[in-house]
Amino acid sequence: MLTDALSIAIAELEEQQVADLIKERLDSGVSPLEIVNSLQQGMAEAGGKFETGEYFLGELIMCGEIMQDSMVILEPLLSGSNAEYKGNIVMGTVKGDIHDLGKNIVVMLLKGSGYNVIDLGVDVSKEKFIEAIKESKAPLVGMSVLLTGCQESMKEIIEGIRAAGLTTKVLIGGNYIDQVVKDYVGADYSAQAATDGVKIADEIFA
Amino acid sequence: MNEKEMLYQKRLERYTTAMDCGKPDMVPVAFGIGEWIVKYTGTTLQEIYYDLDKSNRIVSEMLPGLDFDIFKGGPSLWWPPMFDALGSKLYKFPGMGVDENSTFQFNEQEYMKADDYDEFIASPTEWLVNHYLPNISTELENPGSYRSTIALIKGAAAFAMQGGIMGAAWAKWTVEHGIVGQGTGFTKAPFDTLGDALRGMKGVLLDLRRRPDKVLAACDAITPHNVNCSLAGAGADTRFPCFAPLHRGAYPFLNPKQWDTFYWPSLKATIEGMWAKGKRMLFYAEGDWTPYLEKIAELPDKSIIFQIDTTDPKKAKEILGGRFCLQGGVPTTLLTYGTPEKVKEHVKRTFDELACDGGFILDTGGVVMGDAKKENALAMIEAAREYGVY
Repeated sequence: MLTDALSIAIAELEEQQVADLIKERLDSGVSPLEIVNSLQQGMAEAGGKFETGEYFLGELIMCGEIMQDSMVILEPLLSGSNAEYKGNIVMGTVKGDIHDLGKNIVVMLLKGSGYNVIDLGVDVSKEKFIEAIKESKAPLVGMSVLLTGCQESMKEIIEGIRAAGLTTKVLIGGNYIDQVVKDYVGADYSAQAATDGVKIADEIFA
Repeated sequence: MNEKEMLYQKRLERYTTAMDCGKPDMVPVAFGIGEWIVKYTGTTLQEIYYDLDKSNRIVSEMLPGLDFDIFKGGPSLWWPPMFDALGSKLYKFPGMGVDENSTFQFNEQEYMKADDYDEFIASPTEWLVNHYLPNISTELENPGSYRSTIALIKGAAAFAMQGGIMGAAWAKWTVEHGIVGQGTGFTKAPFDTLGDALRGMKGVLLDLRRRPDKVLAACDAITPHNVNCSLAGAGADTRFPCFAPLHRGAYPFLNPKQWDTFYWPSLKATIEGMWAKGKRMLFYAEGDWTPYLEKIAELPDKSIIFQIDTTDPKKAKEILGGRFCLQGGVPTTLLTYGTPEKVKEHVKRTFDELACDGGFILDTGGVVMGDAKKENALAMIEAAREYGVY
């Protein structure tokens, strides 16, 4: 149960109330990091509501939008404070596919749960994935694909990551993803719902 | 009547009987020759998209060996030269923005801004011409300019050329191979017109909370245009259904209240408006529509063909069966990851579960892309003939 008014406000998608509370708290000297923590708790609650079927994607996107607008204010104030991430995760939509709605929702939820997400965008090549994984030493990479015609490209990227000697866990997601596709492309995990990504990340980073 | 004309009549009879929820001599099967042919014809997707003659020739060569009833068309859904002439930002085409063998994709943006609602609602088509076209096309940025006028002429010419080429190809396929086309005309759910093309997914979902009245007013303003579009684009044909790809109404984008309030009333009004003029909709329900089947059942009997993609097929049969024709049954991914044996088994099971008392058309659930295997696609139509006799 949430008790913090700001956490409740973002979980209930009360956009104006969130903005007012952030301003109020900053003015009264609350640390930006503490404010971000409150927002993250509220987002986690919204994710929980999605899992129980109370919230749909529309609500998750709204919640992400409020978070994003809040971070525009809070992020510049955070530098210097000891923001601790749970870990690095590389994300991207695979080469040939430019769909980003699903990926953006998952990125938003992961960020909201305290992960540092390196979002490579859409139409991401094997080389870019490998480079980002090497650079960030991310233990988890998330790949999104909507078009069935691009599942082959996902397979090639995963093969490329393995050929480069990287043992990063691979999580895949997308509308037509199932166990068969997961096995075919050689992924470690597959996500069926928007909130699965966070659950799997929590498992890996535990 | 020659042999091909007789074949055409037989297939047409099967299709129309199923559309009206009846039981034909055998289960009609719908088939498209999709992007997968690229792998088997030594060509690239870019060539298939840009060179309509080549694409149509490949289809013409394949048709004699295939026995199905309803043709969904060849691999060229769009002809990119029209978009290129306008400098369109809407799509990326094979070899133009994506790899030469990657399929076309829609570049979703907020082409209409939140501030544009009032002007749009006042006169949708006027707003489209004055603001939307300049927003989506680099060549039309300055309406009335020399460059813009030339681009409009070129774009219109390309549109007409494509219509001419495709019309001739369909006429040839009908006469020489006795094939029946799936549909005539194209329309959308008003909420999808707004959410897909104008505001984008994120834009429209945020609008539901920030300016719900504008969303409703916009959907109402779009509805008569979408009714008209279904018939105007079809040359007033009412024998065949109008294709309507439905997107944002799939589970779980909208919560049930939003679905009931924002998605459904204007789509229902569009379908009822079409049906009043005798035009049926191919309700192409991409994704999962299981939670909304009861609402869909409120439509006038036979006014749609319901496409089953990832909707629960048994529930669809239970709730819509008998009153609406159902189409689908073969998961799209089965054509990629299955084997001919698995496809055949699946078709047999699908017939037992969904086709028994008629009103059913066998088809793949969603759009079949370049990943499908030819042997699986062929196994689907072979199995349809083997097990489909009533």
